[in-house]
Amino acid sequence: MVDVAETEMTCCGPGYASPRDAIAAPIEKLLYTVALYTGTGIQKPDYLATIDADPDSPTYSQVIHRLEMPGIGDELHHTGWNACSSCHDDASMSRKYLLLPGVRSNNIYVVDTATDPRAPSLHKIIDGDEIKEKANLSGPHTIHCLGSEIIISFLGDAKGEAPGGYLHVNEDFEIVGRWDNSMGDIPYGYDFWYQPRHNVMISSEWAAPNTFLPGFDLEEVGHLKYGRRLHVWDFERREPVQTMYLGEDGLMPLEVKFLHNPDSTHGFCCAALSSNVIHFWKDEDDPEWKWEKTVDVANELLPDWPIPLPGVMSALLVSMDDRYLYVNNWLHGDMRQYDITDPHNPVLTGQVWMGGLLGKAPVVNGAEVAGGPQMFQLSLDGKRLYVTTSLLSTWDNQFYPEIRTKGGVMVMIDCDVENGGMAINEDFIVDFGQEPNGPSRCHETRYPGGDCTSDIWL
Amino acid sequence: MDTWTVTVANQGGATFDVDASRPLLETLREQGVDLPYGCRYGGCITCAAKVTSGKVDQSEQVALNNRQLKNGYAVLCVARPVSDCILEVGVESHDELYRNPFLDPLEPHELKPDIATTTGEH
Repeated sequence: MVDVAETEMTCCGPGYASPRDAIAAPIEKLLYTVALYTGTGIQKPDYLATIDADPDSPTYSQVIHRLEMPGIGDELHHTGWNACSSCHDDASMSRKYLLLPGVRSNNIYVVDTATDPRAPSLHKIIDGDEIKEKANLSGPHTIHCLGSEIIISFLGDAKGEAPGGYLHVNEDFEIVGRWDNSMGDIPYGYDFWYQPRHNVMISSEWAAPNTFLPGFDLEEVGHLKYGRRLHVWDFERREPVQTMYLGEDGLMPLEVKFLHNPDSTHGFCCAALSSNVIHFWKDEDDPEWKWEKTVDVANELLPDWPIPLPGVMSALLVSMDDRYLYVNNWLHGDMRQYDITDPHNPVLTGQVWMGGLLGKAPVVNGAEVAGGPQMFQLSLDGKRLYVTTSLLSTWDNQFYPEIRTKGGVMVMIDCDVENGGMAINEDFIVDFGQEPNGPSRCHETRYPGGDCTSDIWL
Repeated sequence: MDTWTVTVANQGGATFDVDASRPLLETLREQGVDLPYGCRYGGCITCAAKVTSGKVDQSEQVALNNRQLKNGYAVLCVARPVSDCILEVGVESHDELYRNPFLDPLEPHELKPDIATTTGEH
């Protein structure tokens, strides 16, 4: 807990003094969502869509601005801010720039969202070839700010081979070099989250860009081309110090989140192919980090399918009050809410269906859903969950080929923060199948004021 | 300079003379063919096209598995022609490029060349 004196002293930088302050922030009125044409057959650049999320506005639930990237083929994917609550006490900083990496092009676009929040503009490009030359990295993924500086995980070297590493960028968006002092014996990279009060970072494993970018060959899992480990880092020394081998319980461990409480030593990861939630934690008198499987979504047996269908739990987030965990099953088509008051024993408190291959909710609010729940972002107060349907263009094309003509959708789920429970909001739907240049696909979402996957407290 | 003639079958059968030493993505785009692309090093299949006649050298590619290669796909960002070729380009040519791996698994010889068994015989 942050005491009152500290809260009063830290008033001037970006973000919030504590998770409790973040929950009390004004509600989001704009959403920034990346939308792509890469892999769709439409020869247009990917873009950053601004969505009106103010229910009192005449353009509520509509795309109100599109910032196109300079060229085609980036595959915009995840995004991150230049600054968050980790520099709340630095009055010289502000949450002004959203960084948009192109996972295929390797370019990183720095977008100014503060000058006109409804119509963001391109501020700077960190050139993908320069990143390859200076840091030998490709396949950018997760962005976190480090006080005033930024680190970005990359899944490959310049030739797209694992394990990649971490790019260090300064506050002027210049390449400093590699952030990691060593990758140790880490075979693959993907997501990471750090918890500074415990000098720890946890990273996960997807695969080399050359493995996952072309699409998913299931047989490559058996050839150990996909990850099954979590890695514990000494954050200050910038090197891995412990491996948690998850085995069959943790095939393709993707998103990693600590609880927001900066004192907590508990966190979660979703193992996409195993469709399990992995809980990791450290006990007070034990230096070793431990893990356990706490949720196991069973594969579905479909008639005529030779291989049972996994949920593909590709994303996960924790509400700002650390009470609820949200996970998806992209191929089954459900979003789930778990009460994690006891992180060892999550309790399923909500579930809704949208799209998916099981055919349980092919249409939501009048929009045909091609794809399943994939990326999602929760409001700071925990009540509105915005969910999009595209995973990666090549994987979309394998599992949901109809997304080419139908595009992606964004759905809003109302979440009951008192008693648990989820329900699709009937007044909100953004159908990216109706975009002016043709059907596009939507991926990660952020809010101008920060969200439930952007901020870390020192 | 060695050149070959490339026909783009699904863009009106237009023909282009291209430099044999350079990737087809570059030489065709320079002549106005609108092609998709992503990584530009042979790793991501965004630029995949189907070679329906002729032969290309794409030894640098690391993205296609043996089934995709058998079906005639080439990644144009690293593929260089070694004969006159007929291509189908863009997502219109991708009918056999993508498959649901749970519905239609690969045989061991159909994996990517670096991990495939060397023959289809068991």
